Amino acid sequence: MAATHEITVDADDAEQARDAVDAAIADVLRIEAKYSRYRDDSVTTAINRAAGLREVAIDAETAALLRYADHCHALSRGHFDITSGVLRRAWDFRSASPRVPDAAEVEALRALVGWEHVQWSGEAVRLELHGMEIDFGGIGKEYAADRAATILQERGIAHALVNLGGDLRAVGGQQGGAPWRIGIRHPRRPASAVVASVDVSDGAIATSGDAERYFEKDGRRYCHLLDACTGMPVSAWQAISVAAPLAVVAGSCSTIAMLLESEAAAFLESQAVAWLGVDANGTLHGTLAQ
Amino acid sequence: MAATRGPRPGALLAAALTLPGVVPQAVAQSVPDTGYIQFKYLDYRDWQPGARRMRVENPGLFVLKPLSESLVIEGSLVYDGMSGASPLYFNALSGASGEGVTDYRTAGDVRLTKYFDRFSIGVGVAYSHERDYISRAGSIEVRTWTADKNRTYAFGFAGSADRISADEGAVQGERKNVLDFLFGITQVLSPTSIVQSNITYSRGHGYFTDPYKLLDNRPDHRRILAWLTRYNEHFPSRDGTLQLAYRYIDDSFGADSNMLEVAWVQPLPHGWSVRPSLRYYTQKSAFFYFGPPVGSGLRPGEPYTADTRLSAFGAWTPGILVAKQLDDGWSVDLKLEYYEQRGSWRLGGDGSEGLLPFSARWIQVGVTKTF
Repeated sequence: MAATHEITVDADDAEQARDAVDAAIADVLRIEAKYSRYRDDSVTTAINRAAGLREVAIDAETAALLRYADHCHALSRGHFDITSGVLRRAWDFRSASPRVPDAAEVEALRALVGWEHVQWSGEAVRLELHGMEIDFGGIGKEYAADRAATILQERGIAHALVNLGGDLRAVGGQQGGAPWRIGIRHPRRPASAVVASVDVSDGAIATSGDAERYFEKDGRRYCHLLDACTGMPVSAWQAISVAAPLAVVAGSCSTIAMLLESEAAAFLESQAVAWLGVDANGTLHGTLAQ
Repeated sequence: MAATRGPRPGALLAAALTLPGVVPQAVAQSVPDTGYIQFKYLDYRDWQPGARRMRVENPGLFVLKPLSESLVIEGSLVYDGMSGASPLYFNALSGASGEGVTDYRTAGDVRLTKYFDRFSIGVGVAYSHERDYISRAGSIEVRTWTADKNRTYAFGFAGSADRISADEGAVQGERKNVLDFLFGITQVLSPTSIVQSNITYSRGHGYFTDPYKLLDNRPDHRRILAWLTRYNEHFPSRDGTLQLAYRYIDDSFGADSNMLEVAWVQPLPHGWSVRPSLRYYTQKSAFFYFGPPVGSGLRPGEPYTADTRLSAFGAWTPGILVAKQLDDGWSVDLKLEYYEQRGSWRLGGDGSEGLLPFSARWIQVGVTKTF
């Protein structure tokens, strides 16, 4: 989570607002620490270290996230898979001189990808193959945004906007009745252009796109969204934004839609969410594209 | 690979709602933002072997309307039409009139509740009028809750003043005054469960005797302590809710009782829902209750009753409520309950003897419109 995170609150009682925001931020940091694959003491690291060896005991929260990941895997017909992170070893987006891996490298790593190789229950999880990894990155940030919104509401905040790196969850609109006005950035000119403006009082907007982490080689963009079925980055869309009641849903829908490529529109229509997509040619699609 | 069946709309949302903390928990206290008007018609009949007893037809109208964002008014108007024979005690009649009783009762009440940020105040008045019994009551209830609304405290006070005049003229202008105090706590335990516990203390002074029973003389004061605890838990995997209730009553008349009820609310497709329930009630007899033959144990000037309702018994009430949601905020429901009471069903034995089983059934239909 190395982007801008911001919580905006409209309230009359400044002290109450500060307490509520502190509690919300504490929970966001808790989730980041608990599921970060960069931390030695995180749940994710513990699970990944035991891959191919033994099962790891998990709590109710982790079990619930695994159950949700299972739903996403099924709904995306396998294209969304939280075990696909190992493909990063072939696709290194952070490298100073990134390269396109050859097919053999990708296939070797694809052997370690597969939700069907994860044995999980309400109490424990085990990755069957040595070298497998799970990664909650595709779910954790949006989950944290929804929890932050809940914590604010439970502490008496009626008007708030939680923004975790561009995944937004709104509560109650602005004080005075106006909704929160959200601008969706242009995927190729994010600093200067907005492709759509969406008014949200209660709900979430999340965007998944190819501009977060990528490299370009020979005029072609390779982004960080890797299809678990092929091991290759997807390319049909520059970005897809989804509006849904919860940030978790908006985030999963936008990511799954990106991964489904040409079937994105049919998928989003079946989930009955509002969406905006910018395809590879820059053309706008979707219910928010008015 | 081609999908043979498309993903269900809302499937992801349903899955997401099982994640902990993504939506606020069940709230213990919130201001109603929709009103409703409800008409119910209850048909009650009770009987003992060999004889029909009472029949009550009870249409009632119930209304709740928010008057503003913080003010709610509720009211009800009920009409009881009662007919039937007054109670038989045993197989043989002794002194009881056995004649029919036909009576009508009209009762109404209004309550106004004002909600503030952290507390609410409700004030209510009630009036009931039958041919021989008039009751007037007033109540006030204050509720206060924590900032996160997970816990609510309720404090209530009510007073009623009744005037009783029996038909035959032997009893005229008797009064009964009752004061009630209530303290309750409601606590949200988790996103799917909530518990509520209330203690009510009631002090009554005045005329408690049943004027239609020839031999009946009850103490002129009565103190009741009632402790009711309710627990509700929702099970998202079944989309159903378990409702448990337990009530203990300590009664200065001696008729202490325990009641346990379990029910399950199950929503079904197309707006239907069903709620089966089972209640068990067990009661000690009043200290001045004497069993057959009538008059045994009677001492002049001392309290005495042979009323079945103050004997020691156990009772079961199975019931079912079926409801259907219609368009435009309309809904209909049907409730059936069957009650049977027997001395031998008392918990731990020691039920009063010589009594015929007493049974009753309730059939109630209701129509509700929210607005």
